[in-house]
Amino acid sequence: MSGDIIGIWIGAILTLGIFSFLYKDNPFYKFSEALFVGISAGYWFVVTFWQYFVPKFWDNLSLSFHELVANGRIDYHWIYLVGGFFGVLMLLRLVPKIGWLSRWSLAFIVGTTAGLQFTRYLESNGIRQVVGTIKPLVVGGNLGTSIGNIIIVVGTFTGLIYFFFSKEHKGAFGGAARVGVWFLMINFGAMFGYTVMSRMSLLIGRMDYLFSDWLKLIK
Amino acid sequence: MKNRFVFRKSILLIFLFSFSFFLFGLSISPAQEMGVPVAAPISAPQPPDPPMNVVAKDAPNDNGHAIVVKWSLSADDGKGKNNVLSYEIWRSDNPDTGFVLRGLVPAGTSQYLDRGAREKEEENYFPPHKNFYYQIKAKSDISFSESEVSAPAYAYGQWIHTGKLSILFATAVFTFFVLLFINWAKKGKKLYVRPIAGIDAVDEAIGRATEMGRPILYILGLGSAGELGTIASLTILNRVAKKTAEYQTPLLVPVSDPVVLTVAQEAVKAGYYEAGRPDTYKEDSVWYITSMQFAYVSAVNGLMLREKTATNIYMGVFYAESLLLAETGNVAGSIQISGTDQVAQIPFFVAATDYTLIGEELYAASAYLGKEPLLLGAIKAQDWGKILIMISLIIGAIAASFHLDFIVNLFRIKL
Amino acid sequence: MRWQIPLLIVLIGGVFMAVQYFVPLEFSERIYEYCVDWVIIVGVFAMGLGLWSLFRVSVGKIQTKAQGWGYNFITLGGLFGMILLGLFSGIEEGKQFMNLFWYIYTPIQSSMFALLAFYVASAAYRAFRARTLVSTILLLTAVVIMLRLIPLGPVSGLNQTVASWILTVPNMAAKRAIAMGIGLGGIATALKVVLGIERSYMGKE
Repeated sequence: MSGDIIGIWIGAILTLGIFSFLYKDNPFYKFSEALFVGISAGYWFVVTFWQYFVPKFWDNLSLSFHELVANGRIDYHWIYLVGGFFGVLMLLRLVPKIGWLSRWSLAFIVGTTAGLQFTRYLESNGIRQVVGTIKPLVVGGNLGTSIGNIIIVVGTFTGLIYFFFSKEHKGAFGGAARVGVWFLMINFGAMFGYTVMSRMSLLIGRMDYLFSDWLKLIK
Repeated sequence: MKNRFVFRKSILLIFLFSFSFFLFGLSISPAQEMGVPVAAPISAPQPPDPPMNVVAKDAPNDNGHAIVVKWSLSADDGKGKNNVLSYEIWRSDNPDTGFVLRGLVPAGTSQYLDRGAREKEEENYFPPHKNFYYQIKAKSDISFSESEVSAPAYAYGQWIHTGKLSILFATAVFTFFVLLFINWAKKGKKLYVRPIAGIDAVDEAIGRATEMGRPILYILGLGSAGELGTIASLTILNRVAKKTAEYQTPLLVPVSDPVVLTVAQEAVKAGYYEAGRPDTYKEDSVWYITSMQFAYVSAVNGLMLREKTATNIYMGVFYAESLLLAETGNVAGSIQISGTDQVAQIPFFVAATDYTLIGEELYAASAYLGKEPLLLGAIKAQDWGKILIMISLIIGAIAASFHLDFIVNLFRIKL
Repeated sequence: MRWQIPLLIVLIGGVFMAVQYFVPLEFSERIYEYCVDWVIIVGVFAMGLGLWSLFRVSVGKIQTKAQGWGYNFITLGGLFGMILLGLFSGIEEGKQFMNLFWYIYTPIQSSMFALLAFYVASAAYRAFRARTLVSTILLLTAVVIMLRLIPLGPVSGLNQTVASWILTVPNMAAKRAIAMGIGLGGIATALKVVLGIERSYMGKE
């Protein structure tokens, strides 16, 4: 119980330390920031160690090592050595003479991720968006939906024109691009307005912590 | 020399593509379904009519550990006093005995996907290439009836996902455009690129920082090294590093990912080499803070105020921290240029920074600043991609207005 | 050796990852999973480089007595404290490691996140002062959307109708255009990476 109270006091003081940044940079903030960075970097390292390194690398290799010693069998878990190999190459950056070998690891990470994202982008940002935008321009008996659909097609069309890079935005083409910008601004405004409320609720959550958990002014 | 290398690689790429398909293709075998008639099951008192025409088939577009079972509903489904409440799906590797319950579906359902585990060690392991027989039980509240046993079917993996053909087609078309325009660019064809406000601002801002004698802060965002937004940003960083090396302006690049740390160090070092000043490159000008979002932001915010950075450049993948960074930079009076491919964060950058590269502009800027014709060729391909999309939109919308859905169906992905 | 092999790795890795997307076979699934695991494992090894960098920069500041150097002791203390506790006494709930996480890390994180409330307000204020057509469009839309959840008496219904129309029609149109543009830019970049045209991440020598 008393541990809890100390915890809440520490939390409250650090909260005020962070909020004090709104006034200006000060030792109180610097202290909170330095502690935050140290604790978070340590936390991240430990968590990746236990949650990824041990189960994915260590456990798999010890399994195959055990299999080799006990039954003289080479099982498929040795394949995780490939990851270890690239990992060690990565660490070779610390040795200037052979540091260039770390490029192999970078190539592996960047190459596989790029290949993976190629199809992912094509699906989610390409084809799915096209399917979502193809709408009937005229919906019988429903003027509202018809106008809405026409606006969606026009908005997407002019928005795409804005993103044209190999043609100068002049004349009618430039005009269409300008209409595209208006649509973009509506999108930005809508996203902005949409987020304001959720940000406010975060602040209210913090105030609640200070005034009810810590100061107990609000029950 | 380099051009020929690229060309050879394109050939190798196409070859690898087709070879992989060939390899995958070898491991499949044709479908097989044989009919084995089976004796009718024992009936219970006042049972509902049994389900009919049970057909088992390999599930399409999967890794070969599932079978789809279909049947015709019992005549008593949805009516009468022998009303069917549910169907049970039973499976065995022997048509006469050993049936095991695999699933239960409510009345009115005439299909079941019998999916099992991939690993042999798992309890629910579904062996591929092994014949299975299915039987469906129609259950009422007091009784049940059994269908005839289906013909055998076995599960096997497919070498191509037919629901993704539209994406495969788009891959081929777009790859063709990119290779075509890169080839054009290689031949020395001039490619026009329209001015993008944020790009010109980068050079100005570096000049301003130099005049003021204050550092430039470059933030790569929270993306991992392989994310495309981060990669686009690295090319811009390389260019910024080259300029700062020329002017001898300090460059600060705090990062939030250890792999990004290494790639950013390479990009900056390369910039210093290109400027002919490799001796002035300091490895610690690119350093790691922490991978945790807000801890990283707290440190960068402090850095902005303490180092009084003249220019802050934010390019890459950003999340909620976008506004925290950009507003602090604003308070500090820095010139700020931003660019992200995260749709949800663009509005905050637009509101809080002086110039914003919106979505695709980030990628275009990366190609533009790289200034290599090969990189620029891709911009032209992107524009052709847009033209194709716009044509599809117009034709599709007109066709849809006349209730012709075939265009949109061409694009549809069926997973 | 220095360039050909990494470029070959990029090419093979990239092409495989793109191809496996279209191939549902178990074989392709498994190699995909191994690749993802290997990337994760390399990432953990790279953490060593990250921590080394943080350590070097912090120690460097202490050595040179740079401005505010004393705070680096706190950073290093927090870092090594967490690492020692986490590696040697476990990370289960109730352990010191998690207590530090809950009582120090979490409140600071929530506070940083909550700062956004102030920053959203100041950014909106600035956008309001810029009197151009586009910023007016942005601001008007933001106001309509923001007010959709607030009771406005007789105009409440109208505002809600307008807000939901904005969200589902013009907003959606722009969102699609932006998404498609990003898609095209992204796949072009991916292709350039796989082909070895885009290689700033590998540096030069």
